Amino acid sequence: MTTVESHDGKRLLEQLGASDYGKPPLGCMQCGLCAATCPLGPAMELPPRKLILYAAAGNLEPVLSSPALWMCVACYACSKRCPRGIELTEGLWPALRDAAMQAGIQPPAELQETFQNVLKYGNVLGKSPRQRLDWTKGLDVRVLDLSREPRPVDVLWLVGCYPSYYPRNQVVARAFARILTELGVSWGILGARERSPGECDRMFGEEGLFETLVEQNRELFDKQDFGKLVVLDPHAFRALQSFYPRFGAWYPVQHYTMFLAEHLEQLRPLIVRPVEAVVTYHDNCCVGRRCGCYDPPRELLQLIPGVKLVEMARNRDDSLCCGGGGGGMWLDAHIVAHGGQRLSDERVRQAAASGADTLAVSCPYELSRFEDAAKVTGLEERLKVRDIIELLAESMELGERSVS
Amino acid sequence: MITSDETLRIGVYVCHCGSNIAGTVDVEALTKFAEGLPHVALARHYKYMCSDPGQELVKRDIVEFGLNRIVVAACSPNLHEATFRRAAEDAGLNRFLVQIANIREQVAWVTEDRQEALEKAESHLGAAVRRVARHVPLQRQFVRIVPRAMVVGGGIAGIQAALTLAEAGREVILVEREPSIGGHMAMFDKTFPTLDCAACILTPKMTAVKLHPNIKLLTYSTVESVEGSVGNFRIKVKRKPRYIDESLCVGCMQCIDGCAFTRAKFPNAFDQGLGLRKPVWIPFPQAVPPVPVVDPEVCLQIARGKCKQGCVEACGERNAFRFDQQERIEEYEVGAVVVATGFHAFDPSVISYYGYGKYPNVYTSLEVERLLNAGGPTSGKLVLRDGSTPKRVGIIHCVGSRDANYHAYCSRVCCMYALKLAHLVREKTEAEVYNCYIDIRAAGKGFEEFYNRVQNEGVQFVRGKVADITPAAGQGTSAEGGLVMKVDDTLLGSIREINVDMVILAVALEPQADANQVRRTFGISCSAEGFFLEKHPKLAPVNTANDGVLVAGACQGAKDIPDTVAQADAAAAKALALIDAGQIELEPNTAWIEEDICSGCKTCINLCPYQAIRADEERKIAVVDPALCKGCGTCVAACPSGAARQHLFGDEQISEELEGLMNYV
Ligand SMILES: Cc1cc2nc3c(=O)[nH]c(=O)nc-3n(C[C@H](O)[C@H](O)[C@H](O)COP(=O)(O)OP(=O)(O)OC[C@H]3O[C@@H](n4cnc5c(N)ncnc54)[C@H](O)[C@@H]3O)c2cc1C
Repeated sequence: MTTVESHDGKRLLEQLGASDYGKPPLGCMQCGLCAATCPLGPAMELPPRKLILYAAAGNLEPVLSSPALWMCVACYACSKRCPRGIELTEGLWPALRDAAMQAGIQPPAELQETFQNVLKYGNVLGKSPRQRLDWTKGLDVRVLDLSREPRPVDVLWLVGCYPSYYPRNQVVARAFARILTELGVSWGILGARERSPGECDRMFGEEGLFETLVEQNRELFDKQDFGKLVVLDPHAFRALQSFYPRFGAWYPVQHYTMFLAEHLEQLRPLIVRPVEAVVTYHDNCCVGRRCGCYDPPRELLQLIPGVKLVEMARNRDDSLCCGGGGGGMWLDAHIVAHGGQRLSDERVRQAAASGADTLAVSCPYELSRFEDAAKVTGLEERLKVRDIIELLAESMELGERSVS
Repeated sequence: MITSDETLRIGVYVCHCGSNIAGTVDVEALTKFAEGLPHVALARHYKYMCSDPGQELVKRDIVEFGLNRIVVAACSPNLHEATFRRAAEDAGLNRFLVQIANIREQVAWVTEDRQEALEKAESHLGAAVRRVARHVPLQRQFVRIVPRAMVVGGGIAGIQAALTLAEAGREVILVEREPSIGGHMAMFDKTFPTLDCAACILTPKMTAVKLHPNIKLLTYSTVESVEGSVGNFRIKVKRKPRYIDESLCVGCMQCIDGCAFTRAKFPNAFDQGLGLRKPVWIPFPQAVPPVPVVDPEVCLQIARGKCKQGCVEACGERNAFRFDQQERIEEYEVGAVVVATGFHAFDPSVISYYGYGKYPNVYTSLEVERLLNAGGPTSGKLVLRDGSTPKRVGIIHCVGSRDANYHAYCSRVCCMYALKLAHLVREKTEAEVYNCYIDIRAAGKGFEEFYNRVQNEGVQFVRGKVADITPAAGQGTSAEGGLVMKVDDTLLGSIREINVDMVILAVALEPQADANQVRRTFGISCSAEGFFLEKHPKLAPVNTANDGVLVAGACQGAKDIPDTVAQADAAAAKALALIDAGQIELEPNTAWIEEDICSGCKTCINLCPYQAIRADEERKIAVVDPALCKGCGTCVAACPSGAARQHLFGDEQISEELEGLMNYV
């Protein structure tokens, strides 16, 4: 194969180098650590190392048209390890995807549909905003809809797309509402006005759409008087913590594990019932690997009497992603079609191998991904998937059963 | 207020420095400006003032026009102040009546606009002229140099420096923290690229240290504090108790056999914990001095006060045991110090994906050096934890080096020692060896040839950084046996999984854990990565910011033995040049006490950071020792009666300079 010289690729990498996302990719030494680290690396025709290699040599065309471009699930493992400090996950991939779309290359259809949904309805599921409050039906605590009744609160809780609409996640949302209330913090939500913060759009190079969402959300938040934002979705956390400030939109934000771990002492007396379970915790990528926040979720689990915490062989920095990040939720078909595996399947096997009977998670995507995976791998009987919130609620006797 | 001393005749010289200054500053205009300043008898500009003709110009003018003050507007005084002081002195003028205005570093190089540059240069020059008018003639002062050196660290660097100094006939005090000298080199079996036996070339030098009449060897000791300055350091050395009197011990080692512990059960740090020792122990058979040490934590006699003392019995009438020995401080006076405290090998357990500490058959290079060493824990047999011989060995380069997450720098020696280990592993076990590297750095005499040799011996080279080490399938997590290295073979262009039964991590060389403390003790700086900083990377590679303190070996940066030895000799030569000068000129800007005014309140004595001031109780005044004073000015600022003064920094000199700066901006 002959290499066609063009400077587009190099220019793109140069721009990226100047953009303040990690160290410049032109400093890549082609050590291949990213490729061998990436859980989907072996399936990629052009793993991250080669994306840089080709782009730097000018051959942008094969890079942009490679199916590999749409296989990254934003697990941050390559960025975390890169010996030259190159931010592949938040820098390189989005930039290349953006360039691909500008060159007229279409992302996988399922993903495009998600973008459309976010644009039209403000949520990834394409549901009506009017149904955003459906999850509160039958809830036994007061939910303050700040978009109708603005008033100062400590916590503005962004419920998130899945917890608002998806039945399995709605259970978690309700449990969190009860925990917040039990803790005695003043909290409210944005009700039907809430919109996706747009993390997956940003990670997929939909910079324009993302900017629109930042503006819309900024307008919503600025109308409210709150101490901090609390989110259930780690991706929303990452977006608000790191991407929003780049547009001057700075809000104090915490993932719920961080928020609750700050209230350990208030929680302790509320924990009344043991939960007999051997639990292993799956570190999500945004709060875990990207932000190095590993202890708070474990502290919460250890608060629960009866819980025996065991670790999977791969944990913390080396945790294996569920495959749903940065838009990965809508890429399974694409990935499998190109020889990749669903990472969630492998991860539930690892969870089972740890000897756990419960896989604890702290990300709305993971609940459904791992429950599906447990079915597919035949581990359904052996392994329950539960959000930390559910386990806490059960131990605080605030679980779903106590309502009905 | 401008001095109206009619006798003042100031000569001003503006240097072009080629185009360095003249390219930005209008030197003719600046000269014109100088001519208009008070007391300036003459102003000139010249292409290179520091050249011989430039200096001649100054000398001639002093004689011909009776100049009695000189201002040179040129580069930093760090570079040529001495030059012009000497020129003035040659022409019969006191050398301290010269002042430099730095219009290169502080003006030309940092200003773009020509007009702005001229104005800045004018204010600097004006300040210098006003200041020099207030200068008074001073005497040059000299102090005697203590003709003795201290070397800190007894690795190959310290050994070499000490021997060179001792052979030149100078007294040397060699301070080593561990029970024996030898450093890392004493741990190796062979050395690259020639594969010389490390012990064969090192132990003769160690013995020479022990026998040399000019060397006083203090092992198991560290430097506690350093006072004084170049030529006259007073150094306190802390000596840890060995519990054995070094002067009585003959090194028979019978006490070790006699110890109440019949079997060795404590990890030997020298063997990287792979070998075991008793409470009374010696790191390795050729240790110097050949005197055991007692570990007070585990010795029954010391820890519990109860033991049948087989060691003492074995020692017999030599009677060298001293269980009541205490830590003690000894003080030494030296003229120069060579710091040679070496490096620390990076601990790879922080890189979770290599599983060091989790998988027993993942080793560091230093551990393998010990396994390969005939004097090591396995008597030189390379075996796995279960005693079996490895059949497939992976060697991973750049562990902790060239990695922004740990050390961004290249450790320089790992490629070569990894090649050495590959060769030795194959030689001893015939195992299949895989060297996973990013780049092979073999820039040294005979290095590339050695690389080529190892290739031809059949070692497999895989270009890529290993991403994961996991137990081979079916082995569970606590695999005693097989491991898989996952690596992107970047030349093949595919991701490989290589089965091995032993992994060797070629770990980085990093600064010693206590480098920062050592650095502060000796008043030297370190570079961003923490290695000691040389005064100039090219032109003063063994000097430091603290005059009289020199650095050598791996404490200054990762390097191999040949470079270490060369640097050690360089440091020894610098130390010799210094102490052989016999005396050293002091900086002129020392403090002094106006005795008539001093009330003897002692405020200054407590404040002086250099212990340079003492009280004369009889006369009830403070006295400054100019040899110790560093001219920091603390006493001058603090003295309530204004009796503390400083040469070249009198109130009137400083205020004239400031006024000069302000007036012309
Ligand atoms: C695994 C490995 C293999 C290597 N193989 C080779 C090889 O084959 N060939 C080669 O050329 N190079 C090799 N090297 C490099 C070699 O080790 C160094 O070049 C050499 O050891 C540097 O010598 P040094 O005296 O500067 O430091 P060191 O050997 O580290 O010695 C420093 C000494 O100072 C002492 N010390 C430290 N701090 C203090 C203190 N505060 N007070 C008093 N004493 C102190 C230490 O105890 C030690 O004795 C290898 C390095 C490694 C890690």
